Amino acid sequence: MAYILQQFLTNSAKQNPDKPAVWARGRTLSYRELNERSNQVANLLRSRGIEKGDRVGIYFSKAVESLCAMFGVLKAGGVYVPLDPLAPVERISYIISNCEMKGLITSGEKLRGLDTSKIPSVKTFLITEDKANGLDRPEVVSWSELESFPKGSSPELQTTTTDLAYILYTSGSTGRPKGVMLTHQNALTFVEWCAEEFQVTSDDHLSNHAPLHFDLSVFDVYNAIKAGATVHMVPEEVAKFPASLAKFIEEQGITIWYSVPSALVFLLLHGNMKAEKLAKMRVLLFAGEVFPMKYLKQLAEFLPSVALYNLYGPTETNVCTYYKVGRERLKTQEKLPIGRACANTEVFAVNDQDQIVKAQGETGELYVRGPAVTPGYWADTEKTHKMCVPNRFQPHFEEKMYKTGDLVMFDEYGDYLFLGRRDSQIKSRGYRIELGEIESALLSHPGVREAAALAIPDEEIGARIRAVVAPHEPGTLTVVDLQKHCAARIPSYMIPETIELRDALPKTSTGKIDRVSLVNAAVAPAA
Amino acid sequence: MANDPKVQIRQFVMENAQGRGITELGDNDSLIESGIVDSLGIFRLVSFLEETFGVKIGDEEIVNENFQTISDIERFLAQKQGQTTGQARATA
Repeated sequence: MAYILQQFLTNSAKQNPDKPAVWARGRTLSYRELNERSNQVANLLRSRGIEKGDRVGIYFSKAVESLCAMFGVLKAGGVYVPLDPLAPVERISYIISNCEMKGLITSGEKLRGLDTSKIPSVKTFLITEDKANGLDRPEVVSWSELESFPKGSSPELQTTTTDLAYILYTSGSTGRPKGVMLTHQNALTFVEWCAEEFQVTSDDHLSNHAPLHFDLSVFDVYNAIKAGATVHMVPEEVAKFPASLAKFIEEQGITIWYSVPSALVFLLLHGNMKAEKLAKMRVLLFAGEVFPMKYLKQLAEFLPSVALYNLYGPTETNVCTYYKVGRERLKTQEKLPIGRACANTEVFAVNDQDQIVKAQGETGELYVRGPAVTPGYWADTEKTHKMCVPNRFQPHFEEKMYKTGDLVMFDEYGDYLFLGRRDSQIKSRGYRIELGEIESALLSHPGVREAAALAIPDEEIGARIRAVVAPHEPGTLTVVDLQKHCAARIPSYMIPETIELRDALPKTSTGKIDRVSLVNAAVAPAA
Repeated sequence: MANDPKVQIRQFVMENAQGRGITELGDNDSLIESGIVDSLGIFRLVSFLEETFGVKIGDEEIVNENFQTISDIERFLAQKQGQTTGQARATA
């Protein structure tokens, strides 16, 4: 039995010590090696003063060391925070400061890119290689120094299932990313359901396509380790090229794949895949955005014997609903359902009259309750209270439920359908983006008077981002200048693809920026 | 020389790079790590190469080995052009 995540590893290491646990860039670690290495990371972190509940960042490109770091932090009683290795340094520094990180596991190259005087809370930097090139400082520890720490066991701690395990930062509407806190129980609730539903065994080979700061990777890593299977990490450079990705799937003999739909659409359209070479694939999962039906039908035809699942859930709830694609129904389906609740989770829709929706076809906002739901946002009680609200539909005891902001209805089969958002959150290539965060980045430019970020619907990637900007003084801004300004503040997937400069933005009768007319103007074919 | 393929490739890449806040790029710098080549940008780059240099690039050739750096692209393009000329001669 496991009630904290690291027990998945210690259990599998006992049962299958010599099986490969993780593969990345041509290197593997067996269960024994991963267990011992993560014990050493934990013992080192403790020796450097990391205590229970302390946050430790993980900031480097995917490698077998990524898993040593994740499990090492957990075994030290810490909370790990995966950081996007491709994000701007300013955003990374903000996150480090926001959660008062005590330790950072990183690479020499990434460490050199950081201004450590701006992140004084970090007292230990563990780098994944040897010290070199000016990193010979007492706060920097090299990977080879792990050897001097005990590998047979990790510190004895009374970690419970309700302790925090990791924090995932997502786009925030106020212009700053927000940290979603997840407990061991949150992750276990999801992983236990997956193990049952997908019958993951030690013979499986799971891919890890999503970046580690993205909650899809929770599935890949913990389901593999729980089952004693192997997780194959897709290198960032392979993920960008459909044909390289297809080759990766074939060569690694992937049996369970999980990614955003846009990655699958790219594979399908440009991967030059041969169905006979993907014979080992048995389960294909996708989440994060709406799968365009046209391509899903092609995929289903291409892989006739693979089970296809649409998973749904914001980071705050892990996955909370799922839908198994039915081949017959798919032929006439116009919209893919998000389905029904996973085990140990309850979902329901609440209408504008604050009543739980009972009738088919009636729209409501989706609420989620149960052990999968986040305790809230790091150091942001206001936001936590806004999103994690008391359950007013049962008066017997105090509990919280999560308000997703997603509008849904259920169909004639009792499956939920996703209809849209209540706010300005959008999805592009599966990334969750708050348009407000992009607008804040634009408005922080001294020459910008008004800015509107718009999501232009796109069949392949969900949405393309466009911005319309008005300067204080006409003629003083350039598009490149604005894009550069954004690139220093927000991740590249959030930077507007196109920026239009206007002297002023159109307004509605109430004086607000008229986003509808701006989107319509962008969507309308050029006259 | 304005018709030097490397100059033209570099010009196209830099136009995209500027939008990512990148103003300097070496011939051997990774286009992927810098975020210049994302899964969308790669197809724009492929169309550019096809239109500008009159080559046909198959999906199976759009792999990281051919597109990691400006030098890689140039080498790949030279190889493609060699093939085309070779074929043209063979047909003639």
